[in-house]
Amino acid sequence: MQAIFSELRASLTRNTSMTISLIVTMSVSLMLASLGMLLNAQAERTEQYFGDRLQLQVNLCTKNSPAKTCIGGAASDDQKRAVRQALSENPEVKEFTVRSPQENYAQASELLGQSETGRQQLETLGADSFPESYFVTLKDPQKFDGVVSQVSGMDGVGNVNSLRDLLGPLFEMLDKLKWAAIATSVLLIFAAILQVSNTIRMTAHARRREIGIMRLVGASSWHIQMPFVLESLLAALASALIAAVGLGAFMSFVVYGYLRDTLGRITTWVRWEDAFIVMGWTTLLALLLALIPTLVMTRKYLDV
Amino acid sequence: MIRFSKVSKTYPGQKRAALDGIDLEIDKGEFVFLVGASGSGKSTFLRLILREIRPTTGQVFVAGKEINRLSNWKVPKLRRQIGTVFQDFRLLPNKTVFENVAFALEVIGRGKDEIKELVPETLDMVGLDGKGHRYPEELSGGEQQRVAIARAFVNRPMVLIADEPTGNLDPATSVGIMKLLDRINRTDTTVLMSTHDSSVVDQMRKRVIELSEGRLVRDEARGIYGYQN
Repeated sequence: MQAIFSELRASLTRNTSMTISLIVTMSVSLMLASLGMLLNAQAERTEQYFGDRLQLQVNLCTKNSPAKTCIGGAASDDQKRAVRQALSENPEVKEFTVRSPQENYAQASELLGQSETGRQQLETLGADSFPESYFVTLKDPQKFDGVVSQVSGMDGVGNVNSLRDLLGPLFEMLDKLKWAAIATSVLLIFAAILQVSNTIRMTAHARRREIGIMRLVGASSWHIQMPFVLESLLAALASALIAAVGLGAFMSFVVYGYLRDTLGRITTWVRWEDAFIVMGWTTLLALLLALIPTLVMTRKYLDV
Repeated sequence: MIRFSKVSKTYPGQKRAALDGIDLEIDKGEFVFLVGASGSGKSTFLRLILREIRPTTGQVFVAGKEINRLSNWKVPKLRRQIGTVFQDFRLLPNKTVFENVAFALEVIGRGKDEIKELVPETLDMVGLDGKGHRYPEELSGGEQQRVAIARAFVNRPMVLIADEPTGNLDPATSVGIMKLLDRINRTDTTVLMSTHDSSVVDQMRKRVIELSEGRLVRDEARGIYGYQN
């Protein structure tokens, strides 16, 4: 084992510049990949928050609703029953789910809790400030006029929102950013794989004498491969660490430092736990990226 | 110890066989010279024993195993039973004499204590006692070849293959190397040596196998070199 580590040290000294360039390429590609994964987590979070983007959101009256249909204050049980019945019987409605005032309050708490002004606002609100809502899925998302006109006139209905118009551009942007990040990272990952194989070819050439002797005296294949594998493993872990630091900086400065405060009203933004999950996947990706080409290339160039 | 049974080898893309129908057996503890002109098939013969290549037809047995059937991961184990020495020594220039010999043990996973015991013992045996800290470039050709022999022998192989070990050495130094190989042979190690050096063959009077154009043309106990270069 000691012999393997001294080989590794010698190899790292010999290939310093190659190893550094490999780490740089890999860490940039991993950073982009992790950004892609983070954007994916953000999209999932947003979708979860607003419900399916094709849905209509029917909010019943609260005690403070200003709408004409809310003269009696919060929607009564009869009014609720009437709205539900109307939705069930409407042929354009596929299905609908109910979200209680408590659930709406919990969601709002998370959203408003992201910024200072939001937190202040939250102090004046309680669960009874929020309506009972119905999230309606339509059979044909383009045809929402019928349902909107039917339900919005009913007593006890505060308002009807189509989240489609509001959220469409946001989802599209997130989606495009995600794919741009993933596509760029795929390109860079390709470059990183080529670099891994290049480094191995050069190292194998530089060490052909040693390797020849190792084979001759009966060193096992894994013994010959081990310094190469360890070198790639080290490069992968270093790259994953750099990418994690980069993602951490993004979370700290962009998400927590800006988005949650300034754009906190739009949606709930990703949290540290999302970032940690992404870092785990990125590390796994880094290890696979380094190990698979290394094992393939050492088989090829070392003839082990 | 080594047996060739109707062995032929034709390299891809070549018409003429490098070895053609070789049948022979080398017993444990024998000392055998392999002679023949360049291109007669000596290297192919040695490479087959090391399982660097496989025969086109026929079977090669080393220590009772048909090595053509040996799976790849068992090849290192085979090679641990065979020590190899070359004309050009093949030492690692950035390692000392001790480290060069120890390298052969390290890479097969031998322990530190074992290395500390075996390496000085072997260096002593090949006549390099006290030179363990030197680097190869500080040694004469004969001494470098002794290091190579020490490396090949340190693991106490059953067979020692020497591919023209005196090819780069002057006659006086060659005599010393031959004495060393003879000493190793007396430890019941089979020695198989290919050579172009008629004087060492004539002096030693050991078994001589001669190849010509891939065929076995002479197999003589206590033979002489017996042909003109």
